Amino acid sequence: MHPFDVKTILFAKHAQHVVLIHFPIALFIIGVLFDFLGQWKKQQLLAVAAYYNLCVAAIATFPVVVTGIVAWQWELEGQKLKGILLMHLVMGCVSSVLICLVWFIHMRTRREQEDLPGYRLPIEAAAVVIVSLTGHLGGFLSGVNG
Amino acid sequence: MRSVLTIAGLTAALVLGTLVVCTGQSSHVANAQEKMPSIEVKIDNFSFGPATLTVPVGSMVTWTNRDDIPHTVVSTDDPKTFKSKVLDTNEKFSFTFSKAGTYPYFCSIHPKMTGKVVVQ
Repeated sequence: MHPFDVKTILFAKHAQHVVLIHFPIALFIIGVLFDFLGQWKKQQLLAVAAYYNLCVAAIATFPVVVTGIVAWQWELEGQKLKGILLMHLVMGCVSSVLICLVWFIHMRTRREQEDLPGYRLPIEAAAVVIVSLTGHLGGFLSGVNG
Repeated sequence: MRSVLTIAGLTAALVLGTLVVCTGQSSHVANAQEKMPSIEVKIDNFSFGPATLTVPVGSMVTWTNRDDIPHTVVSTDDPKTFKSKVLDTNEKFSFTFSKAGTYPYFCSIHPKMTGKVVVQ
């Protein structure tokens, strides 16, 4: 194996998707936690902390989606997925959209200098559940949760 | 009466002939299978069992995924000598080794899962 070969760096023995996925999961869950706490305690500082966590979580989803799709295309040669792999792909895409949606709601509210809408809370709660389930499936596939 | 006997005789000959041909074919197939032994590698608990397999030239090796999660069987050489699709639970992949040599392989979903087929 060549240490400067792109495929080797990205996948061999050390799949980057598996490493990078921890960032959006952790940042998003913490961001939602801060948002719920900020709502409950009526503290603006927690809302700001939530916003920045959600912002970085949304950014962190992009390399995760890219490395996941690249792994599918390179390592599995883009073959038709089924079972747990397909479920993981679909739920991963849904999770990414939800993370970006939650960040967008926060970003637009801050830009317009409005109060955060109440409907975001059930969206955030649902997103946390879906992100957690996706992570569980990923862990199962990689053998961590098996 | 004679024509009935003729028809019966022809039918019996046809049936017997068919039986002889079918039996001959099945024994031919059986002989071919005897010549080419099939060996199984079990994929279970994130490992190939046995991890190293020694087989004679012409052997067909069959990998069976007994694990709960999908795996692949991919040779490490380039270009790939063999490469399976994603194998779900209880799915199989077979490859016949027609040349002597050592064939290391791995699971492309779990690169730490490795195995080797030694063909003598």
